Amino acid sequence: MLEALRKKIQEIMPQVDGVIALRRVGKGTAPHLFLPGDDLSELALSPQFPLPTPVRIIQAKYPDKRFAVVVRGCDERQLVEMAKRRQIFLDKLTMIGVACTKEQAEYCRCEMPFPKQVDIGETVEGIPQTFLDDFLAKPREERLAFWKHAFAKCIKCYGCRNICPECFCKECVLEDNLWVTSGTVPPPFPMFHLIRAMHTVGKCVACGECERTCPADIPLTILYKLLKRDVETVFHYYAGADPNEPPLMDSTIFLADMDMLHPPRR
Amino acid sequence: MEYRNVPTICTYCGTGCGLLLEVLDGQVVGTYPDYAHPVSEGHLCIKGWNAGAFVHHPDRLTKPLFRKGNDFVEVSWDEALERVAGELKRIRDQYGPDAIGLFGSAKATNEANYLMQKLARAVIGTNNIDHCARLCHAPSVAGLAMTFGSGAMTNSIPELENSRCILVTGSNTTEGHPIIGARIMRAKERGATLIVVDPRDIQLARFADFHLRQRPGTDVAWINGMIHVILREGLENKEFIATRTENFDALWEVVKEYPPERVEQITGIPADQLAAAARAYARAESAAIVYAMGITQHTTGTDNVVSLANLAMVTGQIGRPSTGVNPLRGQNNVQGACDVGALPNVYPGYQSVTDEKVRQKFLEAWGAAPPARAGFTVTEMVDLAGVGAIRALYIMGENPLLSDPNIHHAREALERIEFLVVQDIFLSETAQFAHVVLPAASFAETSGTFTATDRRVQLVRQAIPPIGESREDWQIICEIARRLGTPAGPYGKFDYAGTAEIMDEIAALTPIYGGISHRRLEELGFLQWPCRTPDDPGTPILHTEQFTRGLGRFQPVHYRDPAELTDKEYPFILTTGRVMFHWHTGTMTRRSPKLHKEVPEGYVEINPLDAERLQIGKSERIRLVSRRGAVETKAWITRRVAPGVVFMPFHFAEAAANVLTNAALDPVAKIPEYKVCAVRIEKITEVERPEKLVAARAGAS
Amino acid sequence: MSSPESNVQQPPYEPKIIGFLCNWCSYAGADLAGTSRLSYPPNIRIVRVQCSGRVSPELVLKAFHEGADGVIVLGCHIGDCHYIDGNHRTSKRIPMLRQLLAYAGIEPDRLRLEWVSAAEGERFATIVKEFTETVRELGPIKRVMVTG
Repeated sequence: MLEALRKKIQEIMPQVDGVIALRRVGKGTAPHLFLPGDDLSELALSPQFPLPTPVRIIQAKYPDKRFAVVVRGCDERQLVEMAKRRQIFLDKLTMIGVACTKEQAEYCRCEMPFPKQVDIGETVEGIPQTFLDDFLAKPREERLAFWKHAFAKCIKCYGCRNICPECFCKECVLEDNLWVTSGTVPPPFPMFHLIRAMHTVGKCVACGECERTCPADIPLTILYKLLKRDVETVFHYYAGADPNEPPLMDSTIFLADMDMLHPPRR
Repeated sequence: MEYRNVPTICTYCGTGCGLLLEVLDGQVVGTYPDYAHPVSEGHLCIKGWNAGAFVHHPDRLTKPLFRKGNDFVEVSWDEALERVAGELKRIRDQYGPDAIGLFGSAKATNEANYLMQKLARAVIGTNNIDHCARLCHAPSVAGLAMTFGSGAMTNSIPELENSRCILVTGSNTTEGHPIIGARIMRAKERGATLIVVDPRDIQLARFADFHLRQRPGTDVAWINGMIHVILREGLENKEFIATRTENFDALWEVVKEYPPERVEQITGIPADQLAAAARAYARAESAAIVYAMGITQHTTGTDNVVSLANLAMVTGQIGRPSTGVNPLRGQNNVQGACDVGALPNVYPGYQSVTDEKVRQKFLEAWGAAPPARAGFTVTEMVDLAGVGAIRALYIMGENPLLSDPNIHHAREALERIEFLVVQDIFLSETAQFAHVVLPAASFAETSGTFTATDRRVQLVRQAIPPIGESREDWQIICEIARRLGTPAGPYGKFDYAGTAEIMDEIAALTPIYGGISHRRLEELGFLQWPCRTPDDPGTPILHTEQFTRGLGRFQPVHYRDPAELTDKEYPFILTTGRVMFHWHTGTMTRRSPKLHKEVPEGYVEINPLDAERLQIGKSERIRLVSRRGAVETKAWITRRVAPGVVFMPFHFAEAAANVLTNAALDPVAKIPEYKVCAVRIEKITEVERPEKLVAARAGAS
Repeated sequence: MSSPESNVQQPPYEPKIIGFLCNWCSYAGADLAGTSRLSYPPNIRIVRVQCSGRVSPELVLKAFHEGADGVIVLGCHIGDCHYIDGNHRTSKRIPMLRQLLAYAGIEPDRLRLEWVSAAEGERFATIVKEFTETVRELGPIKRVMVTG
């Protein structure tokens, strides 16, 4: 697979100013900008590290250059949501789609481990999100205790926000003492985490990076994925599906019937 | 056009997390966690995430500076180096080598520290080399050497999560060493018993099975109390005691005087809880002790450490995975700076300076070595500077003016000194007193190795070239040494192609680093010392078969009161420490916008009951007074501290906790008692605030 | 540990409700209820906002965090927004926030969204009455939140 990707990059390189992909560094992998003529022997594939953030940083500095980027399903959907918000520019970007392997999909508990256009790899089926229903089967008090315990472990590293490609605001409400008391660890329940959860609505593509980088092992994706599922079933809004659609909040979709959403009351 | 990520090691605490510096066109633009790192596994704390934030700060020193009156003027490197070398030479010739003192740095690489002590010993000819380890874990080095024979963390960080019982004391781990704290919480989730002994209601205490709140400074009493319970109830590990230790008989003679009921009177810890915690610790399949400066920064620091060692040995909770006595070292490279000999009493690898054989070895290797007597410690050097016995100080990357106890005293000393050179990345409070300031490169701009708290030697990689005209520490030291004249031994040179070559020299002269080289580190990721030969895989757990000194030695000690007790005039105990969002004297974190935003100013934690009694309101500005000085700061009313105790972080120059702290020293390790001193709280009356009065009058009219 | 408050007789529970009312419709609706002398429970504390679309999740969560037992957001009917589509946002945001509260284990019925026009004084009074009773049944938020 890596060999196929290498070949594809070599093929595309003459048409672009650089290719953003993962590269082996130290014992792991990290985002890298490969330039024409660069040695591709350290090119890597991994389910870790979102690439859209480097795309945003590089495009901001070089708006006129044309880049290619290696995208997994999650990367592609993130880029689309970012493009809708003018954070990256799709017309200056060539995507090289990679379908993740079964193992990688399982590692990420990914529902959709492939981009729309697959250049490399074989598409495998997504992982059913049954753990969400398992979580919802808990009674309300238990859910509350679950999150209170989980959030009490938070050391306020902001890792969930920092790693998230969709968190690009220059001023972040989480840093504002008005909403989340500054300098307090753990942040007071429910301010930090529920604010962040709401801010992922309509943007989160469930890549799972936030949970992976959380030192306190807080299962954040349960919360985010439940919200994502609601957005999909009720508003028929699929984050990252269509770059021509406006962002969820800007859209004129509304709930005609207020009872279309039935929050679990138990 | 260039975008890459450079894997390196975090510059803040001793955990040694891996991080990636994100570099765009020679600028550090961000930080990523390193998923492949064995300790941090893709996790970082807020400081790690912001580790690159100060690198391009406009306050960075970019040119050498000379002091002119109260100002500084920029000079060329040649001028600066000539002057430093010239002055050092003059003072050495005039007053002898021992009139010069050097500070290594727990923030600098092993390579730089090695060269610094080599400069002191082989070029200048003095053992007056020390660094801030004195102020954090000198008692660990001394106490664990006495009992086990090796003064380092016995086990490794990743093991902690498999421990069945963890005793955390004197460490606010989730704030001081967040990623280790996360491991401890993970162990708790996996069913471990968590015992937290801390006067403050820290985050870990919320998850603890036992939270024992001792009166600050009474640690020996509760540790002896636990040993008392264990021995009285026959929970000791008899086989371990018989085969692995010595001097056990003396132990009961001491601890018999510490039944839990008496301990309760001294410490305030309920007797039944202490006994239950002791049982849990003794009975656990594997039990680890984790401690930090709450244990060491006392006049009884060494006593506290040996008591913990006694506790571990009596239960045999050492020498196996997930057990041990684990001091969490503060600085990213405080372990390494000690290892490579930036201490006044040992050469690299803890080889004693008073051992004539050792001295001979270094004399042959370098071609010069100082007389076989220990040099002065940092606290002593500052004292001696005050009385004119130390005439010149060369300080690399440390800020004693804010970190030393009783700051007023330190300031007077530095004002008096004949020649002060400070090599730093920012113009720190100390640098403002310097005659010459040398601009150094930060961790992002240098290469070498850091040694994390679990003896883990790891590569630091250069991400960007040094900012402005700043230079890497090792290069500056080499320049000065060459100007002073280097000795003629086979390892006497100060001329290296790179830091890898310096590490090879360290390996050749330091048995515990014998098998460490940059090439191997590149290949393996890390090596934990002792690592004696090029095929030695390193040692994750110490004392497995036998203790470093052979048999573990029980060192029973009696409880002594802290140096300063509360009285009518100074009724509160002040204890100091860190907060999550800042680092030490704040030179870097207070220049990192996101960290500064979290805690922009100093404060003092006061219990609501005390606040009510003294009628102190939320965030009211108050004055804290000790026998040594007074500071004004903001009151934070919280149950995190017990009644009668106040807590103050020491990061803030404008509300410096160390104006108040007591410089009384531990007799063995010479560490000052930062954790206990007596203070009183004064309200700031309206009369003292003319601007408020004026405002009030204006409002009334 | 006994706290000073524990000796004090606790007054019977009266729910505290924060109402975020749109300036153009609902606030005028509340005004109409008042001038029409319609009675409604005094538990609601009204915060006038320019548009219900301005009510960010932080505002609602902060109200709960500070001890509000219920939060009600009232805006213009869809199609009547003074800013054309401000309430379209509200119509997505508040139901989603209710979902989130439920997932986090906080009773979603503590948060309610309704449309009230300037002419609907009676509707306003009815909704406030109903909502106050709902929140009364749910009990104090203190039971749910961690403080300190």
